[in-house]
Amino acid sequence: MRALRYFFDEALASLGRGARTALIAIATIAVAFVVLGGFLILTTNMERVFTRWQDAAEFSVYFADTATAKERTDTQTTLRESPLVEAVEIVSKEEALRRFEQNFAALAEAARALPANPLPASIEVRLRPGSSPADVEALAQRSGQLPGVADVRYDRQWIQRLMHAVEVVRAGGFTLAALLVFAAALTVASVVRFALVARREEIHIMQLVGAPLAYIRGPFVVEGLIQGGVGAAVAVVVLWITFLVLRSRADSFLGGAVDPATLVFLSFPTVAALLFAGMVVGSLGGLIASHSTREVAD
Amino acid sequence: MIETHHLSKLYSRGVYALRDLSIRVEKGEFVFLTGPSGAGKSTFLRLLLRESVPTDGAITVAGRNLARMTPRQVQAYRRSVGFVFQDFKLIPRKTVLENVSIVPKVLGAPVSTQQRKTFQVLKWVGLQHRMNAYPQELSGGEQQRIAIARALVNDPMLILADEPTGNLDPDLSLDIMNLFREVNARGTTVLIATHDRDLIHRVGRRAIALDHGRLIDTDERAPTAASGTNAGA
Repeated sequence: MRALRYFFDEALASLGRGARTALIAIATIAVAFVVLGGFLILTTNMERVFTRWQDAAEFSVYFADTATAKERTDTQTTLRESPLVEAVEIVSKEEALRRFEQNFAALAEAARALPANPLPASIEVRLRPGSSPADVEALAQRSGQLPGVADVRYDRQWIQRLMHAVEVVRAGGFTLAALLVFAAALTVASVVRFALVARREEIHIMQLVGAPLAYIRGPFVVEGLIQGGVGAAVAVVVLWITFLVLRSRADSFLGGAVDPATLVFLSFPTVAALLFAGMVVGSLGGLIASHSTREVAD
Repeated sequence: MIETHHLSKLYSRGVYALRDLSIRVEKGEFVFLTGPSGAGKSTFLRLLLRESVPTDGAITVAGRNLARMTPRQVQAYRRSVGFVFQDFKLIPRKTVLENVSIVPKVLGAPVSTQQRKTFQVLKWVGLQHRMNAYPQELSGGEQQRIAIARALVNDPMLILADEPTGNLDPDLSLDIMNLFREVNARGTTVLIATHDRDLIHRVGRRAIALDHGRLIDTDERAPTAASGTNAGA
């Protein structure tokens, strides 16, 4: 405990003396963790939104105009009996045209001008939330092979692609963040090394009085730890403010595609993990720098 | 206390700093190590501080072979040795109290022990009233007293001093030497490297003379076991 207090006292005094260089290290750490945290917030929210879309996803089974009433009834029964299906809604050709005219008012005139209704009758299938994409995929394929069915449109396929895109974004973000964190650790090491050079006489005295190596290195490791911890804390604050600002303006740039109230910041364990990671990175920087205090008798 | 046997130290450029040195310093003795610049005095002190290791021969302190020590053993050994340098080697940003208490502090002594030992030793060198001053606010003589206090605070068995009066005027030098004599009177072995033959003469203790890394004085041929012997140099 005494040793720890000594480490912190010395580290804080050293940071006070070299405040300007320490600020550079803290800023570097903060930038690295803003990137890391930013990607975490982005991908977490993308994943949440896409999962909601996936849960709400439907697939539609379109009938050929030649499909008989029995074929339509059989298809409807098959779908209703599936444990993956929550509900089905039958959309007749007339209902399909009415919806088209409602959704695409500008084209309504053109549609009415056609000699016959070109839109097919269909069944819209609402899936149970949490059903496995692979099972739904299999059901969609089976439905496509039923007699009288012309086509099956499955929303989840493009959501799955979006999910893969999230993974790619996350991997790219983590790679970038890892490089920045590495650079930040080296910056901390350089800053701590400045402090170490400034205190080489003191280190020499400590070595001559027989101070344990841990006692000599401790203040430098703690100096890195403080820089890393403060840098990560600054990053969390910057992320939090940015998140609040962006969420308040989410409607303007997301065009209503996502409800801003559903956007989430980093969870408490993630914030704690970021702060801890900042301290670890800083400590490693301090440890790397203090390695030169290892004494070699000539 | 200190014993060397055919001790040699060869530097990488092929120059011997010490050559075939066999000397003996008894426990409780007060000895000067003298010789001109380049005689090997500082190299010998570096070997005794275990900042350097011999190229050949052996060097032992209190029965411990300094050439064969693990880093942990080096730390333990140094805790039993006090050192004083010509340039005092005080930490400018720390007060007198902090400069001296750093020794018990880094060795993990309780705060009460740190304070008690530091105050005692500062009182002993007569600078307890300056304990809140910074080194740069003190005179050269006072700074060297602080350095001596730091060397003594852990009750070492051996005090090593490298030109401790090199930056001081003759009167102050004698004051500092008197402090070393008092330290020695308490039973601590004292080895002082100096080129100041006049000072050696005034203090009047045994001197080991080196030149070009070799022992040139005959004192060592008939070593005296007790402190206080004046063989001259």
